[in-house]
Amino acid sequence: MTMTSDAVGIRLDRVTKRFRGGVTAVREVSLDVQPGEFLVLVGPSGCGKSTILRMIAGLEEVTEGRIYVGEKDVTNQLPQQRDVAMVFQSYALYPRMSVRRNLGFGLRMRRVPRAERERRVAEVAQSLGLEHLLDRRPAALSGGQRQRVAMGRAIVREPKAFLMDEPLSNLDAKLRVSMRAQLSTLHQRLGTTTVYVTHDQVEAMTLGQRVAVLRDGVLQQCDTPQEVFRRPVNLFVAAFIGSPSMNFVAAEVTGGQAKFAGFTIPLPGEPADGQVVLGVRPTAFSLATDANRDLPTMTIQPRLVEELGDERYVIFDLDAPRVDTEATRAAVEAQTAEDALLLPENKAQFTARLPADAPVTIGEPLTLAIDPHRVHLFDPQTGLAR
Amino acid sequence: MRRIRAWGPGFLLVLPSLILLGIFVYGFLGWNVRVSFTDWMQFGETSGFVGLQRYSELAENEVWWRDVRHLLVFTLVFVVGSLLFGFFMALLLEKGVRGENFFRSVYLFPMAISFIAVAIVWRWLLDNGSGVNTAGINKLFAYIGLESIRSDWHKTDSGWAVAAVALPAGWALSGYVMALFLAGMRGVPDELREAARVDGAREPAVFWHVVRPMLWPVIMSALVILAHISLKTFDLIYAIDLRSPRIETPAVYMWFQTFQANFYARGAAVATLLLLGVAVFIVPYIWYSLKTERRR
Amino acid sequence: MNGKLRSPWSPYVNTARYVLLFALVCFFLMPIYAMLVTALKAPAEVSVPGMWELPERWSFESFQAVWDRPEIRQGLVNSVMLAVPASVISSILGAANGFVLSKWRFPGADIVFPLILFGMFIPYQAVLIPLTRFMTDLNLRGGNDPTNGLLGLTLIHIVYGLPITTLIFRTYFAGISDEIIESSQVDGAGMLRTFFFVALPVAPPAFAVSMIWQFTSAWNDFLFGFVMTSQQGWPVTIGLNNIANVQTIPFNEAMASALLASLPTLLVYIILGRFFMRGLMAGALKG
Repeated sequence: MTMTSDAVGIRLDRVTKRFRGGVTAVREVSLDVQPGEFLVLVGPSGCGKSTILRMIAGLEEVTEGRIYVGEKDVTNQLPQQRDVAMVFQSYALYPRMSVRRNLGFGLRMRRVPRAERERRVAEVAQSLGLEHLLDRRPAALSGGQRQRVAMGRAIVREPKAFLMDEPLSNLDAKLRVSMRAQLSTLHQRLGTTTVYVTHDQVEAMTLGQRVAVLRDGVLQQCDTPQEVFRRPVNLFVAAFIGSPSMNFVAAEVTGGQAKFAGFTIPLPGEPADGQVVLGVRPTAFSLATDANRDLPTMTIQPRLVEELGDERYVIFDLDAPRVDTEATRAAVEAQTAEDALLLPENKAQFTARLPADAPVTIGEPLTLAIDPHRVHLFDPQTGLAR
Repeated sequence: MRRIRAWGPGFLLVLPSLILLGIFVYGFLGWNVRVSFTDWMQFGETSGFVGLQRYSELAENEVWWRDVRHLLVFTLVFVVGSLLFGFFMALLLEKGVRGENFFRSVYLFPMAISFIAVAIVWRWLLDNGSGVNTAGINKLFAYIGLESIRSDWHKTDSGWAVAAVALPAGWALSGYVMALFLAGMRGVPDELREAARVDGAREPAVFWHVVRPMLWPVIMSALVILAHISLKTFDLIYAIDLRSPRIETPAVYMWFQTFQANFYARGAAVATLLLLGVAVFIVPYIWYSLKTERRR
Repeated sequence: MNGKLRSPWSPYVNTARYVLLFALVCFFLMPIYAMLVTALKAPAEVSVPGMWELPERWSFESFQAVWDRPEIRQGLVNSVMLAVPASVISSILGAANGFVLSKWRFPGADIVFPLILFGMFIPYQAVLIPLTRFMTDLNLRGGNDPTNGLLGLTLIHIVYGLPITTLIFRTYFAGISDEIIESSQVDGAGMLRTFFFVALPVAPPAFAVSMIWQFTSAWNDFLFGFVMTSQQGWPVTIGLNNIANVQTIPFNEAMASALLASLPTLLVYIILGRFFMRGLMAGALKG
């Protein structure tokens, strides 16, 4: 099977896609996927991630810009001329063909000799545990089996790249987690360059060697999962990545201190004075009693406690207006169910993640410590990280 | 360039069909309109351009207007009758009855029979022999003691005689209307009805407020299809009684003008008017259907 | 039925429903009944006023008599020669068109499709004069043609069948997922191979619908056959009309001829009614 050494990169050079009717789905996106890399495109629906994938496959025409697979400019090539394989959300198995013929179809179309074809199909079927299903039709398979056939159909072709369009989204939650792990293993074994599209940021973080976050057709940030999580470049990325979402509040920075809703938190470094949006992840809180004494604290009134078994989310209101920029709203809407309607009086709402044994009573004051190194500051006008 | 390589093969594949239809539909329609502007009388004769003369002749032609009146009566009775009848049958079947397939198949089977065969049978059923010679449907009335409503059907001199021909036409097509309505009624999601029932609506109210509003597209389809069939119908009338002026319609008139009288130009003018009559509602119908399709 | 709650009125409503349903059955079968009992009577027994009475002696003599008429026997043969190729070829072309117009669209496909559809609704009277002229010039009409006009008539049915077959296949292919077509492209297949390997294998139901529809309309056509064929090439509808329109033909023989001429389409309807229904629905432009 393909070894890491033959892997080629994929390069997008200021690619723009405008649909008829004038909708611009992708704006000047440049991406450099390294040979053998697993890159995840993530963003809310309508952000252009699938369009990018389809342009790489040749299913969608590029309006402006170039696409390279390896050294070759494929911008004007038809899908059948590009040596890439795609795994579709619906798996797109050919309904009237057996699993065997589904797997072998791409090889047949590329005129691979029969003996070679059979050998490769058998090999892939064996590696994916599909041998006993080879003579079945797709309709007679379970969701997980179909998913594996779709993967197998891509693998057997030994293409230059795998393109995957939300391949796990039709599986139930448990199967999805186990397939996720199998996908990682598979990629380690084959080392084929992979571009993977998902709207699920957990999937993006766990699978991707790098994650490209998109919004409205514009690339926001492309970096390792850790970097995207720790140093989001703007409000949108900050709000989109991480679950539960980052907490935001409008604050004023003066003399190295952030002031908001009656709290004052000293900030590390030497931040410039001015109005900011302050963001803090739920994990940056801890119980003041457990924490380092030097950490600043906030005393709050828990409004709601969500039990998750090994941890609990404490939700509390701040006496400050809710940060409601377009960027945070878009990101939060993409992530969670719309809960804004149930918020009291348009106040900023924070979530803190605490251990399950944390003594929390609703309505009783609780003192939390906050790690100032994990406080993010954003420009309230541009949304960019400061 | 990539574009043409992408769609070019598909276009080539449909091209033969497009050429054939271009000639046989649009070419011939145009040619026919052109013929209607001439004085072509005998087959193969060259002919001169006379503008709208054929049409103005028709406007003063009593036979033409009589036939138009027949067509209107026929259309009215046939379309309204089939719609009501088909709707009623769909209503009976809607809830799902035992043996539904059997009933549906029986109601629909006339669609499989040619109008010629339909006409030949119905010609005898509408036979108006009198006294001991009473036959057909009149005889059936006599059997059940309803002799008084016997009728001379299409043989009366009344301008409504052509309505009798709507009976076999309706017999042939109301099953079709039923099938359309049934599909429309069944297309209403069960959840909608259930929601209405839970909200306290009784069955008639469920039908009126939930099902009925969703039947408009069906009614439109049925209306358009029936009306265009009614305009075109030639074989049924021809075979029921080809020589009866009482049931002659423009479609039949066109036939006689063209192939009996060899007055091609006038036949073409009548055909052009038929085409206009059909296009007036078919074009918006196609446009509307494809527009709703695109919205989906 | 299936354990639902019912109102106290439902037994009465149900009875009334079945009474009406059976009354309708009688209405729709009445002509068939009259045809059957008349055609199965011994000729001596036949009378027009007695058309509703059951035969005293069942007999196939009427069928025998009309079977010997060339209008019927030759007509049936001609109709088969006409309707079978017309339905097969029209369906194949329709499949190609339907595939392209739904899954391999070219610029302008949105304009071309309604133009094709319109051909389904035109009154054929409006093409009849040019058509006869055109087919005469091609030597494909009536006596000039060794097939007595059958070849030309087949061509006509193929062409005027294209709108509905295209519509049937377009609707059908629109129902299969775009991703399957795209997957086939990424797997390396071009248009033709996608059509043959991916689309056609799923299309048998659409073929059934389209061929049945085309077979029925070609078989039942009267107008085109009337103007295009000469006596030796008459389809059965023309023959049927001609013998039944002669006043001297015995009533029972008219009925027997009509039955014989309708038998093939009736059989298709009885055996494959499901597909016939779907064709009807397609004709209403609603998939």
